[in-house]
Order: sequence, then C-alpha cells, then structure tokens
Amino acid sequence: MADAARAKNALLVGLISFQDGETIGPVVAAARAALTGHFGDLAGRIVLADCGSTDGTVARAREAVGSGDLLELSPPRSTSDLLEQPYHGVPGKARALRAILATARDLESRACVIVDGKVRTVTPQWFDWLCRPVVDHDFDYVLPYYHRHPYAGALTRGLVYPLVRALYGVRLRQPAAAEFACSGRLVEHFLDEDFWDREASQVGIDLWLATSVAAADFRLGEAAVGIHTHHARSEAALDLGTTIAQVVGSLFADLERRAARWQRTRGSVPVQQFGTPVAEPPPASSPDVERLFESFRLASRELRDIWTWVLPPRTIVDLRKLADGPVAQFRLDDEMWARIVYDFALGYRLRVLPRDHLLRSLVPLYSGWWASFILQVRALDAAAADQRVEDLAMAFEAQKPYLISRWRWPERLRSG
Amino acid sequence: MVEQFNRALGLANTRIVEAVGNFLPGVLVFLVVLAVTLAVALVLRSTVRRGLNSLDFDRRAELLGMSLASWTPSHSASTLIASIVYWTILTLGLLLGLTALDAALPSQFAVSVLEYVPHLLAALAIGVGGGIVARYLARAILIGAVNMGMQSARLISLTVKWLVLIVAAAMALDHIGIGRTVLLLAFGILFGGVVLACAIAVGLGAREAVSRALDRQLREASRDDTVNHV
Repeated sequence: MADAARAKNALLVGLISFQDGETIGPVVAAARAALTGHFGDLAGRIVLADCGSTDGTVARAREAVGSGDLLELSPPRSTSDLLEQPYHGVPGKARALRAILATARDLESRACVIVDGKVRTVTPQWFDWLCRPVVDHDFDYVLPYYHRHPYAGALTRGLVYPLVRALYGVRLRQPAAAEFACSGRLVEHFLDEDFWDREASQVGIDLWLATSVAAADFRLGEAAVGIHTHHARSEAALDLGTTIAQVVGSLFADLERRAARWQRTRGSVPVQQFGTPVAEPPPASSPDVERLFESFRLASRELRDIWTWVLPPRTIVDLRKLADGPVAQFRLDDEMWARIVYDFALGYRLRVLPRDHLLRSLVPLYSGWWASFILQVRALDAAAADQRVEDLAMAFEAQKPYLISRWRWPERLRSG
Repeated sequence: MVEQFNRALGLANTRIVEAVGNFLPGVLVFLVVLAVTLAVALVLRSTVRRGLNSLDFDRRAELLGMSLASWTPSHSASTLIASIVYWTILTLGLLLGLTALDAALPSQFAVSVLEYVPHLLAALAIGVGGGIVARYLARAILIGAVNMGMQSARLISLTVKWLVLIVAAAMALDHIGIGRTVLLLAFGILFGGVVLACAIAVGLGAREAVSRALDRQLREASRDDTVNHV
C-alpha cells in the first residue's frame, strides 16, 4: 500500500507562474503529455505554484490539465515583492520553489522537475531529457543547456559560468537556468539550506540552488534541451544595471558564504551531457559594438575615481590605455577580465563602496568585455564561439590564486 | 587731618585686601578647573584619535565623503575630530572656570554660550549628514548617468552634490540663527534663478536637443529589450 502511494507520486512536475496566461496552457499540456507518454510507468503529479497572477494564469492551467490532477499551491506573498522587479520576473520565487520542494518531500517523490511557466518552447521531450538521468541513472541534479546564439546570455557566458566553474570546479554552463530536475535526496538537501529567508533570496534563488549543489557531493548532469524562448512578463524590460546588480550581487553574496569551500577547490570537471544538441542556434539581434565600446570609454574617463576603490592601479592604467585605442582593435584580455571580476567580488565583500554602487559601476566594464567578445566571435561559428567561452573559463581558473590571495590578505586590494 | 587720611588709607587697604582675598579663591578654582580640563582634553584627544584609528575611521570617512585630503592634505578626519573634541572640552572648561570667578559679565557670557552649544551640535550634525547624502547621491547619479551613456554625467553629478550641500549649509546656518532672513532670501533667489534659467535654456535653446535625446533614449531602450543577458 505504501509502495503504491510512493509510486503514485514518484515524479513531481513543479510549475512556477506569474502572469503567464499566454504560455501556461502549452506548458501544462507538455507536462501532462510527458507524464503519460514518457513516464507512464511512474505516474506523477503536476504542482502549480502561482505567485499572484491576475491574468487568468491559474484558470488556463486548470483548463489545460483537463481531467488530470493539478495540485495548486499559493506561496505566501510579501510586500517587499512589490518593491523590486527580479530579473527572472517572478516576485517571491524562492517561496514558490520552497513550497514545491516541500510538497515533493511530503509526497516522497523520487524526482522533481521544475519548469518556469513563461517558456514558449517547452515540449514533452524536455521533461524526459531533464528527468531521465535522475530517474534511470541516479543523477541528483540536471540543469538544461539551452542552445543560444553566441551573443545571447552574455552575462552567463562572460561572468556567471566562468566564475561558478572556477570557484566550485564543475562545468555547469548555464547555472542561472530557471528549469532543473533533482532527486529526492537533493530535495532534502535544498530544504535544509539556510538561504531561503536570506536577503535577496527571492532574486538569487536559481543561482544559489546551483552553487549549493556544485559545492556539495552530488551527481550533476546537463541536458541539451534545444532552443529556449519565453514571453516577456513585464512590458518594461529591466535595465542592464539592475540585472547585473541582481545576478552578480547574488553570486558575490553566495561566494562570501562559501569561502571556506571554494578556496579548497582546484581545477574543474565536466558534467555528463544528455539530450540532443541542436545544430543551428536561433538568430539573435546584433548588439551595437560601437555603443558598447563608447559606454566603456565614457566610464573609463568618468568612473576612474570610483574604480580606484576596487581595482588596483595597474588595471586602471591598462583600462585607460584600452579606452584610448581604436574600437576595431579593442580586446579585453581574458586574464584581465577575470581579475576585474575577482577584484569586484573582493570589493563587495569588504564593502569598499555601497554594494549597489559597486555592482552598477561594473556595468561599463561588462559592456567593454561584451564588445571585445563580439569583435572576437562575430566571424566564428557557434562551436568556435563556445570554445572561446571555454578559453575564458580557463582564464578564470588560472587567475583563481589571485582571488584567493587577495581574499586572505585584503590589505593588498589597492596595491599592485 | 593726617589721622583722618591714615584712617581712610587703612580702610581702602582693608577693602582691597578683602576684595583680593575674596577674588583669589575664585582664581584658584579657575586655574584648577583649567588645569583639570586641559588634562582631560589631552587624554580625550589621544583616546579619540587611537579609537578612530583602530576603527579604520579615515578610510570609512573618505568612503562617506568626509575626505579632508583636498583641503588639508596633512590632516585626516580622525585628527580633525580629535582636535574638535580637544578644543570643545577646553572651551567648556574655560567657560566653567569663568563662572567660578563670580564675575557677572563672564558668567552671563558663559551661560549664553553653553545654551548655544546644542544648536551648534545640531548644525554640525546637519552639515555632516548633508555631506554624506551629497556624496552618496553624487556617486549614484554619476554611475547611473554613465550607464545611460550621458556625456555630461559628471556635470549632473556635481550639480546635485552642490545643491544638496547648499541646502544642508542653509539649514545648518538657519539652525544656529545666523543671517536667517538674508539666507532665506538668498536661497530663494538662487534656487528660483537656477530653475528659471534651466527652464529658459531648455525651452528656448535646447528644445530640439532634448527632443533628440529623449527620442534616442526611447529607441535605445526598445533595442535593449530584445537582448537577454542572463
């Protein structure tokens, strides 16, 4: 009897939604098709955690599930959700995720897969690619690998992936992905973590879950799920400064918490790949390199006094030289970019400036790196562009002793 | 006659001796108060300086915009605060000592100055608070304006900084009652003049430039919307 109950809830599909009336129907339908078509022997449950939609998202999810069983959760809401728009677009996302994971634990699920309700391109196959390694091969955590244009997801390619890889030694290429599958063992681990009620958890929870796994002893995998497109939850897009402050701030806050762990890690290991890679990435709008470089040049003139608090004098001089050169020959060296990111991480820890100011002053440097990256990869194919990102990640690994030494002896921050 | 003169002289001598006798303990108390105050001021100056140094106060003060390097390169914020503490204690001791002399004028002066001290402290707090807010806002605006690609980012940041500083200074001076009416008038004229000048400049001279800038801003925002950085 107990085995039957356990088998009934072996797989839990958790959907998180907020104003996703446009896309939630197809997402629920895909989840239902996956449960019946791909995991018929397991039979699971669909759980919807809606974060206060007012556009009929929940009603459309009910319609899509039809005669099937939809468990609806109403995560608690907070007035602080109204104050800041998170980059992922779901206010109170950590509470929603926690509610789903707690349900998975209560139902003793063998595997749990989380999917964001805003995704347009989700198919039943997605669930199979994400869950199969957990269900059949005892993997604990499977993140998706979206096939993207080399210009898309630049913050992930240029900062988040190389930093997570260098710090925790695992090559998770898209650690900020909103979708993932995890084992029952990992559900327990997540729920035992102490970050759920921390400041900024509602913003940085996706990254914190990934680093929590990377910093512990779990089996990790990556599933190539193809192209990822989604609808815009808000009419007004978040500006780049706020996006960087949220994403990089979450990462730096986590780095501060796990200092003892990442200082012991050397090198990195690849994670096992699943799914089917797509040959051609989707087209992406081409960013204006001139404008990105001009932003970098303006900042190197106007923000030098602020950067002096964070970066060593040698880096400031090198940046100035780069800004004075012609745009066509502009190249921001990988090692230099890695050291800049590490210096900002240390500045964040030491609070050399108000943290919001510090993170926002990174924006023009990121624009400079992005311009340099585009100039280097625009003549390359997708595979060569990916290799360029791998080279950058290697530079982050090579420069890690620089971070460790400054972390241990911060008085050297403004020297050298 | 001579006897009368001698008696008067003796009486005068007695009065002088009595007056000096009455005054001398006051002087003694004054000197003791001054000596104790000096000792306390010296000890406090040294303690405050050491305490602030151990708290890395100079670096933090610079961060908050209380850097003195541009005005007095040889002095730091901790030295300044230690000096303020030293001279404040010494002045208070002097005023306290004056009351011990039991002289009407210095005593009244001492009382009125002591009554003024809370206003001075409040004005000082307003000044320091204004300086911190000005520096914070100036930096936030500079970073924001640079991120928006505005070439005049530093000018905007400096304008805001000085506006906040002027407001803080006006509030501080008003609090200690210096030139209240003149200050109010000058401030009104200055602010009104700046706003009017800006309105005329934008309305007459830079209408098309503003329109172009807004147009560019809107177009660039819509182009950015299509890029997913994460």
